[in-house]
Amino acid sequence: MTALHSQAPAGETGGEYAFAYLDEQTKRMIRRGLLKAVAIPGYQVPFGGREMPLPYGWGTGGMQVTAAILGGDDVLKVIDQGADDTTNAVSIRRFFSRTAGVATTTRTPEATVIQTRHRVPETPLSNDQILVFQVPIPEPLRFIEPAETETRTMHALRDYGIMHVKLYEDIATFGHIATAYAYPVTVDDRYVMDPSPIPKFDNPKLDMNPALMLFGAGREKRLYAVPPYTRVVSLDFEDHPFAVQRWTECCAVCGSRDSFLDELIVDDAGTKRFVCSDTDYCRQRQQETGQ
Amino acid sequence: MSDAQYLQPAFERPAEAAQQTFRAALRALAEPGLARPLPPTPPLERMAPATYALCLSLLDADTPVWLAPAFDTPLVRANLSFHCGCPVVERREQAAFAVLDAGDLADLSGFPLGSERYPDQSCTLLVQLERLDGGEMLAWQGPGIAAQRQVDLPLPWHFWQQRALHGDFPRGLDLFFTAGQALLGLPRSTRCLAPVREAS
Repeated sequence: MTALHSQAPAGETGGEYAFAYLDEQTKRMIRRGLLKAVAIPGYQVPFGGREMPLPYGWGTGGMQVTAAILGGDDVLKVIDQGADDTTNAVSIRRFFSRTAGVATTTRTPEATVIQTRHRVPETPLSNDQILVFQVPIPEPLRFIEPAETETRTMHALRDYGIMHVKLYEDIATFGHIATAYAYPVTVDDRYVMDPSPIPKFDNPKLDMNPALMLFGAGREKRLYAVPPYTRVVSLDFEDHPFAVQRWTECCAVCGSRDSFLDELIVDDAGTKRFVCSDTDYCRQRQQETGQ
Repeated sequence: MSDAQYLQPAFERPAEAAQQTFRAALRALAEPGLARPLPPTPPLERMAPATYALCLSLLDADTPVWLAPAFDTPLVRANLSFHCGCPVVERREQAAFAVLDAGDLADLSGFPLGSERYPDQSCTLLVQLERLDGGEMLAWQGPGIAAQRQVDLPLPWHFWQQRALHGDFPRGLDLFFTAGQALLGLPRSTRCLAPVREAS
């Protein structure tokens, strides 16, 4: 980080970095891409992804989106698998508090921009919030067709039959749709989209969500978006309708039966406990119940 | 006129104002039909503050811009090339952005609509109006609108014909309407239910 420190140009905030790290020209390019992404919901816009000071796979796509949209009065929250206190979340939060000087929070309702890896917060989002997803593989058709030229054509022709073949193979093999995360969706009845590796538990939250949702893939250099109040439908079959995960247990900490639970092995005997994956939601509930 | 007289002020705090303008534009496009205020910006000759702010926020050397005759003056050209560095192009087919006013809406042909594979390679139109309301009430539907939104942009009816003619989703034109310090977005994804009109 010291090398970065000395090379960073003088910006408006702190005098050490350009505001939010990226230079203005790069931010303009990403901003123009985001406007097109919003205008064509679910469509993947190519963009000139920059190298960020951390490796691909650590959220470089999401960070570039966040850097392009962030303003001085924003309040940023960063979560990794629902938690505010994991390495990825902590370092990205610190990165923006250092390069943009923005306020940060762990409380979902207080945030104006939430960057997330692999979860949608349990607390319902508002119309004033923007959710930024980190995306590893933006192309939902990639598993069957490695060539970008072909998948482009498939999207252009709405040639999505293969997606149902994949889900059908699940049913043929396992008796049910076994895809549990990165479950494909159709956005506004047109584009099939990878919602990023969120658990399918979160898919229903994408539908008609009041918040703007932006997706950034750093390695693949793609942006896409779901505007607020947009229909997002998970693919399924009439006789095998889409269904989310359910647990027989409740959260061991807050007792929630409605949230996405992580399984923990707590001793050598293999005893299992379940806790909320969304740490802020769990903390809110603990406060409410006075635990 | 000397060069010094050509040069007009732009954003006072460029990084901050560009970000605020972009966020207003993002929100305007994400929620079509809702007017959004922009940070204070000076006008540029016939260009209203909102139109100029969008140019300053979004244009650079990568974005060829087409100017309608009303905006194509030496002063506008000089300031756009100084503050944005964007090439001003003569042909609509080359434009990534275009600046128009209400009088130019009778013919939207020529602007790139993108291709089926790359619909994002389409032109974004900045359309400057006198105001953003007071026209015929239409019902807008689509992404960004919970059920239906009533919008009364003061637009000639042939604009809606032109929009239908030059858009076959996912190809199409995205528009920002500007007036004074405010803007309103109309992305290609919005379905505008126009009243039935008999040919006269």
